[in-house]
Amino acid sequence: MLAKLIVSFAYFLDSSKKYKEVKGFAYDLLENPKSKIKPYFDAFIIFLVLITVSILIYDIAHQISYHFEIVENTAVFIFILEWLGRFWIHDDLRHLIIQYHEKQIELSQKPKAKAILKIIILQKMKYMFSPMSIIDLLAILPTYRPLRILRIFLIFRLLKIFRYTKSLNTFFKVLSDKKFEFNFLFIIAIFAVFMSATIMYVFEGVGNNPNIGSYLDAIYWSIITISTVGYGDITPVTLTGKIVTLFLVGGGFMILVLATSVVTNALSDKMEIVRENKLLSQANKLSNLIVVFGFGRMGMALAHELYENGKNFIVVDKNEENTTKAKELGYLYMKADASEYEMINNLVFQNDVEKVVITTDNDALNLSILLTIKAERKDIEVLVRANNDENIKKFKIANADFVIFPYETIAEVAVEYIGNAVKFDAIENLILKKSNITLDEINILEGSDMVGKSISQIGLKHMSITTIAVLKNGSSRNFIFNPDNDNYKFEPNDSVVVIGDKKNIGEIKKSISRQFT
Amino acid sequence: MTKIVIFGYSKTGREIAKLLSDDEYDLQIIDENLLSVGKANEDGFYARHSSFSEDKMLEEIGIGKDIDVLFCTSTNDSLNLFVTLSARNLDKNLKILTLIYKNNDEKKMILAGANRTISPYDVGALKAYRIIDKPKVSKVLSLFSLQSNKLSMNEIVVPKGSILDGVYYKDISIFKEFDLIFLGMLDKELGDEFIFFSEGINHKIDHHDILIVLGSKSNIKKFKTHIGAL
Repeated sequence: MLAKLIVSFAYFLDSSKKYKEVKGFAYDLLENPKSKIKPYFDAFIIFLVLITVSILIYDIAHQISYHFEIVENTAVFIFILEWLGRFWIHDDLRHLIIQYHEKQIELSQKPKAKAILKIIILQKMKYMFSPMSIIDLLAILPTYRPLRILRIFLIFRLLKIFRYTKSLNTFFKVLSDKKFEFNFLFIIAIFAVFMSATIMYVFEGVGNNPNIGSYLDAIYWSIITISTVGYGDITPVTLTGKIVTLFLVGGGFMILVLATSVVTNALSDKMEIVRENKLLSQANKLSNLIVVFGFGRMGMALAHELYENGKNFIVVDKNEENTTKAKELGYLYMKADASEYEMINNLVFQNDVEKVVITTDNDALNLSILLTIKAERKDIEVLVRANNDENIKKFKIANADFVIFPYETIAEVAVEYIGNAVKFDAIENLILKKSNITLDEINILEGSDMVGKSISQIGLKHMSITTIAVLKNGSSRNFIFNPDNDNYKFEPNDSVVVIGDKKNIGEIKKSISRQFT
Repeated sequence: MTKIVIFGYSKTGREIAKLLSDDEYDLQIIDENLLSVGKANEDGFYARHSSFSEDKMLEEIGIGKDIDVLFCTSTNDSLNLFVTLSARNLDKNLKILTLIYKNNDEKKMILAGANRTISPYDVGALKAYRIIDKPKVSKVLSLFSLQSNKLSMNEIVVPKGSILDGVYYKDISIFKEFDLIFLGMLDKELGDEFIFFSEGINHKIDHHDILIVLGSKSNIKKFKTHIGAL
């Protein structure tokens, strides 16, 4: 009976759009590293932690007014809500219950309440005993006034801050990668401490040295000495003690040096990754991102164009030399192997990517990237470079939106040079070089006052802008070449391809966009 | 018949050769690599093996005598540079077009005597950029490409005594009559700079000036007949 109730409740939740929306919001707020609201929420919690810790510290020596108590109680209330929220979104129990139910049906058995409860408890326990959950809980405790000892847990409230600062997390993660080295150093240090403390205690502990009254004193002396702090409140008096001290100081110095180098090493190893994660999260915030795979010479030339024109883009290359160049030029970059699905998933599918340009000189790799992207997201426009004319067809079969075979383009331009040097110059100026005269497109938007007007009327002729063609709905299948200056009237969604002075074209475009402000 | 030498059967060299395979051109392909020579022969072109390291080799194939155009399309910048320099030395009037792979090699190539240089990477990148930024312009340009053959860009030398000789180009509507777009011109008196119509200057057309027009092939032919350039 209970089992049936839980299962039908799980189905009910699963079908409820509202429930999913609310849970999705809670996830965005608390856990989703890519959500836009989480950073604000995190900052707010950190603020609360700092405020309440200050109040509690002040409270130790002073009598605080009830205003502060209200703040403290509100903060703790929010902390509790936050913990409960995380407790809730930690897993999707309904999926597990439905899964269990489906399995039982297959086995033609009825769902058992015991089994379902076991699933629920196991999942939730997993969260409750996770380190972060424990820290959160302990952070709530110091508010309980009757037990003043609980104030020591105040420290946990400060630990809570770690949860919200990504760089600290990464720092600890970096250090945990060097576990072996740290363990090794730690064991050596422990060994040195106990050995020297024992020798010291044996030779000076029984009356020789008034400062060493117990074994604990000897340990204390040993740690103060090995750490090179050396307070000097306990100093050796016997010859043996002095010799031991000499060795201990030397050894302590070595251990410190080693530990420092391990940390530095770990950091320098991982700093690159940390930096890249940061770049990736920067890319995350950008919209209409263009991803350029391959930062070879073509990738570089393209990135330069994109940069000059203020587009949002990120370049990907696995070659260290190339990414260093991208770094020097100040581009967003990622050092990664584009043949891995995970990489493309993180960069392309998880971000607001509009277009992808694949420019490596390896057609097999280009094809693999293209297929990975098109298999999942058909809406992303992909331009791909072909390095061999036989592969152009393959890229088209694989749904590439555009295939660029640079050698063919060059050949077409080059051949013009044979008999038509002037034409070559005209083409080169327009297409390859940067001159004031440029080829551009003007889009006649629906509702614009350009609609119904002629080329002369909107001032194109006056500005010596040459109209090459009008594309209907932006398609080259339906176009009017050389439209008449006076007789052709613009229709909505016309795209006008023109040649003219950059500034003049810019002005026409502005006069269109101004209308829509 | 235009005599052309392609030095370097690279990917670009190959594409150029494919475009020039009709009978109007006398094509010679030279490569320093035997494998490339073999490949060119396989593709049906007449190719020879030579490194062009001595002037004698250049003279042998006709540079300095009757070759009109030299394409230096090997994948090696310094080799292209060397051949450009040697060829320029033999023939002042030879048209030399050289590929450059490194951006800073452009000045060197021009100094060595190349008339024009093209960087394959820049061309590819600019093409990609244009598709991203101005997709419709790319569509129109593709109509002009040699493969689609729909529209053509053509240069026309104004003959002496033609109806265009001595008129200002803003004053005439002749281009409109033939459904052509007048893009610009090269005035021999003013030097080698190409003047775009869109620059807004009203300029006088003289004989020997070169006009660039856009239009369908048949209209261009009619126009040429009309002004007496054919």
